Amino acid sequence: MQDLLEVRDVSKTFKAKAGNVAAVDKVSLQARKGEVTVIIGPSGSGKTTLLYIIGSLESPDSGEINVFGEDVAGSEIDLINYRRQRIGFVFQFFNLITALTSLENVTLPMDLASVSPTEQRDRAVRLLERMGIDGRLQKARANKMSGGEKQRVAIARALANNPDIILADEPTGNLDSATGKLVVDILVRLAREDGKCVIIVTHDESILDAADWAYHMQDGKLEGIEAGA
Amino acid sequence: MRALKRGFRNFRRHPVRNLVVILLLFVCLTFSLSMLAVKLASDSEIQQVKESVGNYGEIKISSDYQMQVFEAERSQSESQRTAQARTMTTEQELAQRAQFLVSESTTDSFSQQPEVMTYDKVLEARISVDDLTNTEVQSLLSMQQRGGGTGPEALSSNSFQFEGNTNGASVSDFMVGSKQLVEGSFYTYQDYVKANPVVLIEKNQAETNDLSVGDSITALISGKSGRDAEVELKIIGIYETVQAEQSQQGQGETFNPAGNRLYAPLSVVQQLNATPGYVQLGSYYFDSEDSVASMQQVFDNELADGDKLQFATDSSSFETISDPLTKVGKTSMIGLAGALGACALIILLAMAIIIGGRTRELGVLKAIGATNRQVMAQYAVEVICICLVAIILAMGVSALISQKMGNWLMSGNTATASQSTTVSGTQQGQMPQMGPGATNSQLYKEGSGFSSSSQAALKLNVVYKGKLFLYGILILLFIGLLGMAVPVIWITRLKPARVLSIE
Repeated sequence: MQDLLEVRDVSKTFKAKAGNVAAVDKVSLQARKGEVTVIIGPSGSGKTTLLYIIGSLESPDSGEINVFGEDVAGSEIDLINYRRQRIGFVFQFFNLITALTSLENVTLPMDLASVSPTEQRDRAVRLLERMGIDGRLQKARANKMSGGEKQRVAIARALANNPDIILADEPTGNLDSATGKLVVDILVRLAREDGKCVIIVTHDESILDAADWAYHMQDGKLEGIEAGA
Repeated sequence: MRALKRGFRNFRRHPVRNLVVILLLFVCLTFSLSMLAVKLASDSEIQQVKESVGNYGEIKISSDYQMQVFEAERSQSESQRTAQARTMTTEQELAQRAQFLVSESTTDSFSQQPEVMTYDKVLEARISVDDLTNTEVQSLLSMQQRGGGTGPEALSSNSFQFEGNTNGASVSDFMVGSKQLVEGSFYTYQDYVKANPVVLIEKNQAETNDLSVGDSITALISGKSGRDAEVELKIIGIYETVQAEQSQQGQGETFNPAGNRLYAPLSVVQQLNATPGYVQLGSYYFDSEDSVASMQQVFDNELADGDKLQFATDSSSFETISDPLTKVGKTSMIGLAGALGACALIILLAMAIIIGGRTRELGVLKAIGATNRQVMAQYAVEVICICLVAIILAMGVSALISQKMGNWLMSGNTATASQSTTVSGTQQGQMPQMGPGATNSQLYKEGSGFSSSSQAALKLNVVYKGKLFLYGILILLFIGLLGMAVPVIWITRLKPARVLSIE
């Protein structure tokens, strides 16, 4: 498998009342297309910060993020293009825009990337159907949906611009175990069938079963552990 | 275009929230626009008043000087005065007759000022006309004789008031509309230049004496006798009195003149009064009310001749008329500023609440690849939509209520102005006299003691003009930009990672 993502010696420190806190401390990892990488750790271990650094929502104090061998650090426009074309985010709290329908939530990233309206709609309908969101639910507002439905819409939104990397932050954290398993299955399928590079951060150890590569994060430091897959 | 669609979609998706903001803005904007309409109307009204009032001045003998002369004459005995009159040369006699008149050379020189737009000269004199009977004076004299009294020496039943100027159509009574020509024509400037012996006569007088246009009457030159004293005047026009004369004592209309006033070219009246080269007053309209102060300066420096002459203006009339309008303008400006301040506060608070409630949405938009500009444009459309709906509604409603608000503001201020006018009117004099010399504070332009039309200017006509729409758009932009300030600050400072981590 080809290395898609390489994180090298990335560090991030936050200022706190008690002093500086190293949320991410010289972390390095590689992730490949078609594989699921799981980072597990307790709350406050720095795993979400690492995910946001990979997704360019946080800038690292030091270190590099390379995608296909290219450093993603650059101008604001470079970072926006990186977020649009390379990254798809899936959040614990879904983060759908509640005033919009599920279809509109999925078309939104495409609209921002100037995809034509017809293509937006076709692609969004295809993605939602693939996630099991049918015609009626496609027109429903996000606040009228169940947690599982919301998370599936969120995954469809993450796939809208066909990114290489899916970053999932506690994707099952707000779901019951059955729905959580369904969501993990979808993410695994995206890696296996679509060749996406899926990175999941979680404290749910059951997800390790789906991982090709697993890491444990504690106090900002990362170490490899045995993966279930 | 996409941001516009997204913004408009978001605007439609939050109807209740938007309605509350729109309603609050609507109330303040309605008040703002109404105040603005009133302000524009009062400014326009003041401008109109400036075109007709406040830009007038006249040069005439001062009342102080008249009093001094009277006092000097009173200190002399009858025999002294008679002896003095006997020894007078022709020039001294003319000077004696013209002692309360102004030299034409003085009034002419003042007319050379570049600010002077129109210039007229007026002379009023009591002249005897042999073949004409003044019915009003006749009845007055007969009443006094029955009561055992004697009439004034200067008055007789053939005595008439002649008013002369350079152009019949410019006579103040005709200008203010208290009198109007019903037959024939006015005398012209050429009649004045050539001293054509023509005259305008009152309708009742013409009917009483069976006279019509084309007939002639014979007037006598003051101080002369015999055939040389007679001047035949051809009647070229007949006028009628339209408006009842006003009492200066504030008792409303009193009487209509019985036609004892005749109008003739100034040069003819000068000949009849035997005062060539002298006028009662010079009458001037200036280019603007703003020029009056500089004209006063020129008069004081060059023409005043001690305290003999006075430069009377209608600036106090202008102040009386424009004062309520100025006050309404000021009040409406305060109201406008207050209402706009409230609008600004509402939009700032509303946008702060709206954006505060949608912070996570902002974070998501940034996380999925929206640029700051895209997010700002989307919110700009939302703000503009809110403001646009509010301002359209406000324009409609303020068009309906502005006039009422203007009237309400005017009513308070007009009452004050009317009070002050009444007080100054009572102080002016007791007798309802006519003519330029009736009271020294009476201006020629106001007509011969007839009611002034100046009060009509106190109406405030609030009309929706293009200018108001332009200001409406400016207000829309102002509020829109202010409303945009909140999202702009919020969006540029927002860290999506922080927002998205919040449960």
